[in-house]
Amino acid sequence: MFRSLTSAARLYPAIPVIVVLLVSFSTISPYFLNAGNVEAMLAANSVVLIAAVGMTLVFLTGGIDLSISTVISASAVLSGLVMAATDNVALGVLTAMGVGAGFGAANGVLIGIFGLTPFITTMATQLIARGIAFVMSQGVAVRGTPFWVMDFGFWVWLGIPAVTWIAFGVVLIGIAALTLTTWGREVYLVGSNRNSARFTGINVPQIEFSVYFLSGLLGGLAGFISIANLGNAIPGVGDTLLLIIIGAVVLGGTAMEGGEGSVLRTLLGVALLSILINGLNLIGIPFYDQLIVQGVLIFVGTWLAMKLSRRRS
Amino acid sequence: MSQSEQKPILQVRGLSKAFAGKTVVHNVTFDLHPGEIIALVGENGAGKSTTKNMLCSLLAPSEGEILVDGQKLEPGIGEDLGVSAVHQELSLFQTLTVAENMCISRLPGKAANVDWAEAERIAAEQLDFLGIEIDPHVTVDQLGSGKQQVVEIGKALLHAEKVLILDEPTTSLTAVEREKLFNILDKLKERGLAIIFISHFMEEIYRVCDSYVVLRDGEQVGHGKLADVPQHHLEEMMVGRAIGEARPDLSEPTADEALRVEDFENEDFHQISLSVKKGEILGIAGLMGAGRTELAEAIFGLRPAKGKIWVHGQEVPGHNVTKMKDRNVVYVPEDRRINGLFLNRPVRENLSAASILTFVKRRLRGIGFKGEKRKANELAEEMNIRIPHIENHVSDLSGGNQQKVLIGRWLVTAPEVIILDEPTKGVDIGAKFDIHATIVRLAHEGAGVIIVSSDLPELLNTAHRIVVMRKGRIAGEFTRDQFDPARIISVAASEGGARDDAA
Repeated sequence: MFRSLTSAARLYPAIPVIVVLLVSFSTISPYFLNAGNVEAMLAANSVVLIAAVGMTLVFLTGGIDLSISTVISASAVLSGLVMAATDNVALGVLTAMGVGAGFGAANGVLIGIFGLTPFITTMATQLIARGIAFVMSQGVAVRGTPFWVMDFGFWVWLGIPAVTWIAFGVVLIGIAALTLTTWGREVYLVGSNRNSARFTGINVPQIEFSVYFLSGLLGGLAGFISIANLGNAIPGVGDTLLLIIIGAVVLGGTAMEGGEGSVLRTLLGVALLSILINGLNLIGIPFYDQLIVQGVLIFVGTWLAMKLSRRRS
Repeated sequence: MSQSEQKPILQVRGLSKAFAGKTVVHNVTFDLHPGEIIALVGENGAGKSTTKNMLCSLLAPSEGEILVDGQKLEPGIGEDLGVSAVHQELSLFQTLTVAENMCISRLPGKAANVDWAEAERIAAEQLDFLGIEIDPHVTVDQLGSGKQQVVEIGKALLHAEKVLILDEPTTSLTAVEREKLFNILDKLKERGLAIIFISHFMEEIYRVCDSYVVLRDGEQVGHGKLADVPQHHLEEMMVGRAIGEARPDLSEPTADEALRVEDFENEDFHQISLSVKKGEILGIAGLMGAGRTELAEAIFGLRPAKGKIWVHGQEVPGHNVTKMKDRNVVYVPEDRRINGLFLNRPVRENLSAASILTFVKRRLRGIGFKGEKRKANELAEEMNIRIPHIENHVSDLSGGNQQKVLIGRWLVTAPEVIILDEPTKGVDIGAKFDIHATIVRLAHEGAGVIIVSSDLPELLNTAHRIVVMRKGRIAGEFTRDQFDPARIISVAASEGGARDDAA
């Protein structure tokens, strides 16, 4: 029993922290486990969860996608503008995904094919996406979101918001693709050792392209979901999410060096951060104080993950 | 002997080490006198590294003690007591200069005002003593691995007033550099330095060492004067069983050609034409830097090269890794940790990495885990890979078992041409024996085998034919009845131009 508990904690270092947070917040605040609060928490974090799945793919190859946050913003704005002009929801979804995929493909070509550094490349695309979001929207929320999209943000099924179901769907597909397919296996192997992957005959540029492409695509989807959540496309919607996305992936236990981690771990990492932020809000901790707590927690979490994943000896 | 009358400089008494309750080194006891070189031998995983780390005070012993000139060695104070080690993995900073590297742990001058002129003087003096011409101003990345090794030794010597520990110092050296190193060791011996020499190469041990300590499974199973023990007896102590006749039975190659390259050429090698028949083992000998690895990589399509290549008599136009893999040509690279293995992934995934498509189920195109596991277990059994479980990370295995995993990966693909680059570098005798048996079996089953190796006895033992490369060109060729180590070495090292033997 004890053995399996420690091995679970090694694989999923977020679990013990989540348990502690759940117990303490539900003791302190009676509203914490209230259905309304849980629903709000789930809906609010669906955007982060979808983007974090994309970031996990990139992390597993040993890379990083700093552009994902503003790709969310840019795809939300462009999708919002298209929907305002056409009132066509399908076209809006296509636009959001298309914009995301475009940025992802650009990152993928530059990093995978031309061999540029992920950090610098995605920092540059981050700036470009941010600029596009603000230029196209002139810095204000895009009006004229179709009613159906706003309404969709309120749909709830089995106590879980529809947007969260979509995020869960992304998580499931992510888990299946990474664990069951040869593509997923090759993602892990490339992250574990690029040279060995090349010497083994794995098409490394293609795998790298694919993870940045998918990360962008998921950023686009997250952008569309943000419109449903907020009712409007907001030009700065994703900008502040980057550190939460990266923090969630790292806290979940996916290594930045690549080759180790999983989407399930990221799901737990997102759960951990959402519970923390929601709980701190409920007990009335001011925003900037929360940042300090978040920062300290990321320290503790990475340290814990490192300790637990260190093997015998 | 006068040595035994002298007072020992190093006394090791009942040295033991346990990690998490598991004993990995038990009761190692020996004395070392000034001017004595002792060989620390044993298979991979026998506890040599742990012992070495305790001796250079990186690890604290669980039991027992180490006395240096009568003083007890406490963790971290090795260099203060005059004990220093050259570890197997080079620990130089590639972008710093030779002088900076050598003096890094004790820079002359004040902290904020280092006396670089003095540092360079110290480095130059040290290199001069070692008799190697290296400019202390150049950055380390501009030196070949042999010279880097010398810098590493020079660095250790600055602190090794009494005891120097050398862990596999020759694995990256050419024959010439190796001989220079041995001369240096002779000089150090005369100066009264005591040396602990860790090596897999028996000839080296008998060339430089006076005495030996054998470890097996963490136990000290032998200790004495090297002059009193024949080599096969020493090897048997290491392995713990009698070693059979080392030379494996070679079967006759067929007449069919497995692989042919003609006029292969790029910046590292020129006008290479060679072929290997089905069932034949072709050895490629030569010095470090002769272009052997580059040629092997180019044949597999990892490097661009001009020229023509045929597999089973059919030309492969515009060959690349995918095309070669499709034709069941495989390449096992030299440096398993850098270019071969996925260290933080399970053994199972490492074994299936080159053949993952063959495990895909028709339905849903997913990986067939049952088949993958079965194959991994079969391979582990077949190649005698010693692992608790195929889900263990490859980083948990010893060097020999890691190398077996790397070779095993390609066996899944039923290779018809297999190119192995230094297939037994840094592995122990038992694993080496297993790997040679596998290579011979592959040839027996009809594969064409090319072995690139700096270990000449290995080629003499396993190859039907040896091609010698020198400075990127084929300098000679020897069939089995012409095998002569001295001639092969002279062809590999000589400065002459023309080919010595006609093909």
